[in-house]
Amino acid sequence: MNKIQTIARPAEKKVTGCGECRSTCQSACKTSCTVGNQSCERISRENDPEKNN
Amino acid sequence: MVHVFECRGHYYIFDTGSSALHECDEKAARLLRARMGEDADTSDISAEERKAYEEDFAELEQGGLLFAPETAVRPVKSNEVKALCLHICHDCNLRCRYCFADEGAYHSRREFMSLETAKKAIDFLIANSGNRRVLETDFFGGEPLMNFDVVKQTVYYAKEEASKRGKEFRFTLTTNGLLLKDDVAKFLNEEMDNVVLSLDGRKEVHDVVRKTANGKGSFDLVIENLKNFVSIRGDKSYYVRGTFTAKNLDFSKDVLFLADSGFDSISLEPVVTDIEDLAIGKEHLPAIADEYDRLCDAYLSRMAEGKGFNFFHFNVDLEGGPCLAKRVSACGAGNEYLSVVPNGDIYPCHQFAGDSEFRMGSVYEGTLDAAIREKFRDSCLFTRKKCEGCFAKYICSGGCSANNYHFNGSIDEPYEITCEMMRKRTEDAMHILAERKKREKRG
Repeated sequence: MNKIQTIARPAEKKVTGCGECRSTCQSACKTSCTVGNQSCERISRENDPEKNN
Repeated sequence: MVHVFECRGHYYIFDTGSSALHECDEKAARLLRARMGEDADTSDISAEERKAYEEDFAELEQGGLLFAPETAVRPVKSNEVKALCLHICHDCNLRCRYCFADEGAYHSRREFMSLETAKKAIDFLIANSGNRRVLETDFFGGEPLMNFDVVKQTVYYAKEEASKRGKEFRFTLTTNGLLLKDDVAKFLNEEMDNVVLSLDGRKEVHDVVRKTANGKGSFDLVIENLKNFVSIRGDKSYYVRGTFTAKNLDFSKDVLFLADSGFDSISLEPVVTDIEDLAIGKEHLPAIADEYDRLCDAYLSRMAEGKGFNFFHFNVDLEGGPCLAKRVSACGAGNEYLSVVPNGDIYPCHQFAGDSEFRMGSVYEGTLDAAIREKFRDSCLFTRKKCEGCFAKYICSGGCSANNYHFNGSIDEPYEITCEMMRKRTEDAMHILAERKKREKRG
């Protein structure tokens, strides 16, 4: 591509719907829930088993 | 669906279906807008240029990164409860004017949760958590530290019960910092996975709204406690969480003040109130959009100077983050996340506490109102029809059910003012992501 630069491309999701993620309201806001800035708990655990298990 | 936008002199293409973000030039932006039927004059773009752009568009489409089909993934509809907001204290030592919780009393009498009720709530959570291993409890108020001994005993009890059943608790506590003395700070630092510290920013901003019971500003009473707590926090999670109102639409100054005060994890939320001089209305939205842009510029400058900090709403993760099933499931209130008030009654979340129409049961009864639960469990991105045409829908998942209900009378009817601010913050967050990636590439 010459004219357009891809900044972010979605990673292939290995897991969907396991439900292990934090509930949204446990983050900072309590009024402006933003699901998209949370992390996938399962992938976090896989990446850092010592910290998350 | 494709969203083409300009942010701080840069042009971006966000493909909602794939979550891919592309940067382009102004001509590409116009061509794509014209292709989508938007009003865009492309008469100055030569045939040769047009061909080059079209080749790029085609390559992206073939790669599934432009006009990608939207997800067929359905929401998570589990019957497991995974988190409780424990209203450990329906009282507060501050009288903040904008408090949704009626300055701590929740439109009822001021009362503390007993240890017996807190234990019942923990038992209820464990009993209803199914196969879920990690459970969450959020100590909330009013001001939970007014009932600190119950917080402490509940943590010990929850850990003991969890270990017997192969489960684990993660705790969060939200505090105004007034009672955050050394021994309390030490306990919270050891036991809480996340601590939310309420502070609105500059003293003159904070003190206008966050007052003590005798009407004095609380800034000087809390600032050192909060700084001391953060100094011992290490790399454990916390947020300094403020609120901005119509009185401080220059709120980027408050975020930067907080960063300059040594807090590196900051969230500043628009007020949710109908109090006339504080409420955010449509007329404030242009100024708020400009202010998010100013914050975005300052955020990038600080990052470049090695003085970066984390602003909650600028953390949009397009490449990782939660799975699509989570992104379409909304916040989980009323189903996997519930609130328990001091007498043990259960509500869908803290914002519905005390509203008898939404009372779901009691930890003493051990059951949940099936109709209310079903209503919340069924609510998801796909039941929020207004979200269909929104580029940010997989990022916000339809917003806060309580705000939707309180402003529009339905948990499925998004509150447009909140949506506008959300979309603007998301565009700035995408610009920040793009700038960060370019800097990383340059080394």
